[in-house]
Amino acid sequence: MPTLVTATIKKRCRYCRKSTLNFLKSLCGELKELKGVVLLENKPISTCSLEELSKKMALVLTEKIRGFNLNVFDLVASGQMPYTNLFHQLKETHLKVVRKAMEMTGISSLAQKPLHELSDGNFQKALIAKALAQQTQTVLLDEPGAYLDYGSKHRLFEWLQRLAREQNKCILASSHDLHLVRKYCNKLLLLSDGRAELLDTEIAITRPAFLALGGSYL
Amino acid sequence: MKLKYGILFLLVVFLFAMFCSIFYGGSGALSWSEVNSANFIFWEIRLPKTLTAILAGFALPTAGLLLQVLFRNPLAGPYALGISSGASLMVAVSLLATQSIGLGLFFGKSVLIASALSGSFAVTLLLLAISSRVRSNVVVLLIGLMISQICGALLGTLEYYAEPGNLKNFVLWGMGSFSGTNYKDLFILLLFILMSFVMLLFSIKPLNALLLGDEYARSLGFNISRTRFFLILISSLLTGICTAFCGPVAFVGISVPILSRILFQTSRQEWHLLSGVLMGSSLLLFADALSHNLIPDSSLPVNIITTLLGAPVVLYLMFKTKQW
Repeated sequence: MPTLVTATIKKRCRYCRKSTLNFLKSLCGELKELKGVVLLENKPISTCSLEELSKKMALVLTEKIRGFNLNVFDLVASGQMPYTNLFHQLKETHLKVVRKAMEMTGISSLAQKPLHELSDGNFQKALIAKALAQQTQTVLLDEPGAYLDYGSKHRLFEWLQRLAREQNKCILASSHDLHLVRKYCNKLLLLSDGRAELLDTEIAITRPAFLALGGSYL
Repeated sequence: MKLKYGILFLLVVFLFAMFCSIFYGGSGALSWSEVNSANFIFWEIRLPKTLTAILAGFALPTAGLLLQVLFRNPLAGPYALGISSGASLMVAVSLLATQSIGLGLFFGKSVLIASALSGSFAVTLLLLAISSRVRSNVVVLLIGLMISQICGALLGTLEYYAEPGNLKNFVLWGMGSFSGTNYKDLFILLLFILMSFVMLLFSIKPLNALLLGDEYARSLGFNISRTRFFLILISSLLTGICTAFCGPVAFVGISVPILSRILFQTSRQEWHLLSGVLMGSSLLLFADALSHNLIPDSSLPVNIITTLLGAPVVLYLMFKTKQW
């Protein structure tokens, strides 16, 4: 599996009327495919059990999670749920993974902080740490950096890029920020007019579909 | 509060409450020697009543906690969402119907149980069907309130046309009471609670996952519709069976989980279930003991005590904590 950061470009397709979020949801099997089949390791995703999927693909959405006394540690530790016993008992091996994930995202010092007290950037990091703790080959992100300021966005993408290279993960993020996409992603998945094209970034940015999305202003 | 010490403290409170309920929970206090000897009042009245209160104290907070997670709303509870009212309505219908054609003796309590369960299950399913269409939690809560009101109105109609003898019994039942259960009833109650407990053991992990929202819970490998179904089944079973034997006991189902979340800053629901059970049964035992002693030579309905006892505490704590 190649190391890559791929970005899909947000645009409502005229024919399939799907947003990129729905596209991501189809990819992880939450929504049924309208057309075609999603394959994961050459296996149709609809034939994979949820348990199997949870060990192969992690999800990061933009929606906030709050309440119920949830803190950062709880959120990150939930990434280990596919690997723990019936009562989600965290043994030393699980804790190690959780700590590592928090270290990598730089939120170790926030472990005991309630989720509702986090800044948007740290919340995003906590979610990504959760996805890392899930130990999956693939990570899907919906508009990471949507609520972040300019600098934090770049830091996040830079970091995602490094993650993809060093951890050999496939990271698929949806974004409508063409600057970020061009700078940090090595492949682009262009969604337009009901068609999807996976191209190397250098080639993708010359395509009419990319230009039509606003690429001509870059 | 440290979790383990907190639970230990609650355990002590629980034992004290049990003591109060057994020795003072009736007209006149019992003495040790009376308890030791084969005393009729102790064995046939006090003990079944105390045990009923403990089981109800298990059932209601647990149901409330599950509903709060299910609807992602701290104000959800069996009473607030109209689930208790649904059960009451069905009980009233079956009671008044069977009594009017003289079948009450024939069917006995199994009809009561079946109708309460069907009522609570129907309301929960209805609520869930609505909540999948309506995104806002507040709307779901309001719909629950409306269901509760509609059930109340239908209940009022039934009461209006009921015979005076039946009416008093039913009104008393509606105010909640732990007396009136014998050991056979207790056995049935225990059976249902054990059943729910076993299902609960398998639901704890998905319950914790559900705190993050449906999408994440699913991506962590949990089947959301199955989890929801089990949570509804458990909470309806617990509410229904409790309502069948003790009447619609107000307030405990909603307030105890809130209290537990405020006292124990953990997101692990198994701790809240444990502390909720201890707090809920203590509250009901105290309420029972108080209801017999507050006014001399008379006893108040349990519902009045539970509400008066718990509501101010929760209000105070809710104002003190900012996070919801």
